[in-house]
Amino acid sequence: MGEPLLEIKELAKRFAARAGGEASPWVIRDLSFSVADGEFLTIIGPSGAGKTTLLNMIAQIDAATGGEVRFGSETAPIGDPKALRPGLACRIGYVTQDDHLLPWRTTLQNVLFPLSVQGRLTAETRARAEMLIRTVGLNGFEDHYPHELSGGMRKRAALIRTLVYDPPVILMDEPFGALDAQTRTQLQADLLRLWNLGRKTIIFVTHDIGEAIALGDRTLVLSRPPSRIAGEHAITIPRPRDVRDIMSHPDFAPLYQRIRAQVQ
Amino acid sequence: MQEERRINDGSVAPHRIAAALRARGDQLIVLVVLIAIWQALSAALGTYWVGSPWGVATRFAAGIADGTLPGQAFYTVIEAVAGFTLGALPAIALPFWLRRAPIVSAILDPFMVGGYGAPKLALAPLFILWFGIGIESKIALVAFTVFFIVYFSAQAGVRALDARLVQMAQVMGASERHVARHIVFPGAVPHVFAGLRIAMPYSIGGAVIAELISANRGLGYLIQLGATNFDTTGIFVALAATTCIVLAGNWSVTALERRLLRWRPASDLALQAGS
Repeated sequence: MGEPLLEIKELAKRFAARAGGEASPWVIRDLSFSVADGEFLTIIGPSGAGKTTLLNMIAQIDAATGGEVRFGSETAPIGDPKALRPGLACRIGYVTQDDHLLPWRTTLQNVLFPLSVQGRLTAETRARAEMLIRTVGLNGFEDHYPHELSGGMRKRAALIRTLVYDPPVILMDEPFGALDAQTRTQLQADLLRLWNLGRKTIIFVTHDIGEAIALGDRTLVLSRPPSRIAGEHAITIPRPRDVRDIMSHPDFAPLYQRIRAQVQ
Repeated sequence: MQEERRINDGSVAPHRIAAALRARGDQLIVLVVLIAIWQALSAALGTYWVGSPWGVATRFAAGIADGTLPGQAFYTVIEAVAGFTLGALPAIALPFWLRRAPIVSAILDPFMVGGYGAPKLALAPLFILWFGIGIESKIALVAFTVFFIVYFSAQAGVRALDARLVQMAQVMGASERHVARHIVFPGAVPHVFAGLRIAMPYSIGGAVIAELISANRGLGYLIQLGATNFDTTGIFVALAATTCIVLAGNWSVTALERRLLRWRPASDLALQAGS
């Protein structure tokens, strides 16, 4: 798979101690892995394993306490929140657990927001935005405000808001966590279809083993905190995959059992 | 999807219109009861003490017909609008500047609380001393009153900012200027309007009170004149005019708010409009 695009070495994180209190425990310690260009990596771990913290450090909205986060030839500042460069010049997109749509902007305005602040709002990018809106079935809801959309629609809007400016790396933090099973499968299928269009590097965090297998090229298992890598699994199920029918593939059950044995 | 939207409108709108009509009807009943009580009181105590609804209504109509009432009211409205603008604009802008200067903000805080708590009525003589008995002292009093109310609302709005929204915008490439314009400001607008809605009656009231103390024009002057001449009906006419202006002002602020805050769920707006 060539030179890794993103490399995490001996990453460590603990939050600042409360005034007068003891030092807070390590959330992440000795965590190392790398991600190849164009890879779909899924990360699975028990709740409280610092999954969101890990993504925050990669996106540079939170500073690591120790170790190294290298993206291409650039390393993230360690222990200095002021020196962080969130999203590292729009090359790392981030789809969070909550959709974080701006409530005062319509669907279309939300999707166009990154393009407009990056000064890239042209007829061409606008057409791309409209194409993405159609692809995920949000056409007809362009002028709706977020509170007028269903949970699944808001997720779709948040997803294409990141896809629209085409960052080479996209971080996803349990983006489909709070949805019903059916909407969730639909969105997973949508995501795979969109990923096939442009083969980006995706780091997708989830607590659902089935989802990790259905989407990823490779799955990492995080241990309980202080988190490190407890296991690594190549997902051999060939693409294109049908997420609705993924469980019937002969490789699914053994993978599922091996991963479940490691998730505690 | 067009279909779905139409169905939505069809099921929600008539229900809400019916509720609004019902509320209007009930308001009318309350108004009639209040006027009936007033009428009964004037019959029992005599018009010398409480005037009478009919007397006030005829004087009110006559005042409008000969142009004296609108003339005096215009003067008061000018003071209120000018003072409201002069007070509200810096009160809205200041918290946005101070967001980037938390130390300055912390230094200013107790003084702002002091200014908020100061009895504005007691300041009226000072403003008259400084700015004379003309329109300037009234505008100053209104601006001073409005400023502190709006300042604290706008500050609450700026402080209620969702840090995650800012982080997400930064990840997407938003600069500090973008964050201020597209996230901090729109997020604070509901709070700003809450302040404006509270400040609006105070701006009319402040103007009238300043006129009461010293003026030769305005609705406050009419009240003062009525008091000097033991003309209860005259006082009530001026009060009725003041009330009408406050209602019109409130309606304007609410209409502007509805326009600017279309993005909020309807239930939020309904709750606020009802308050």
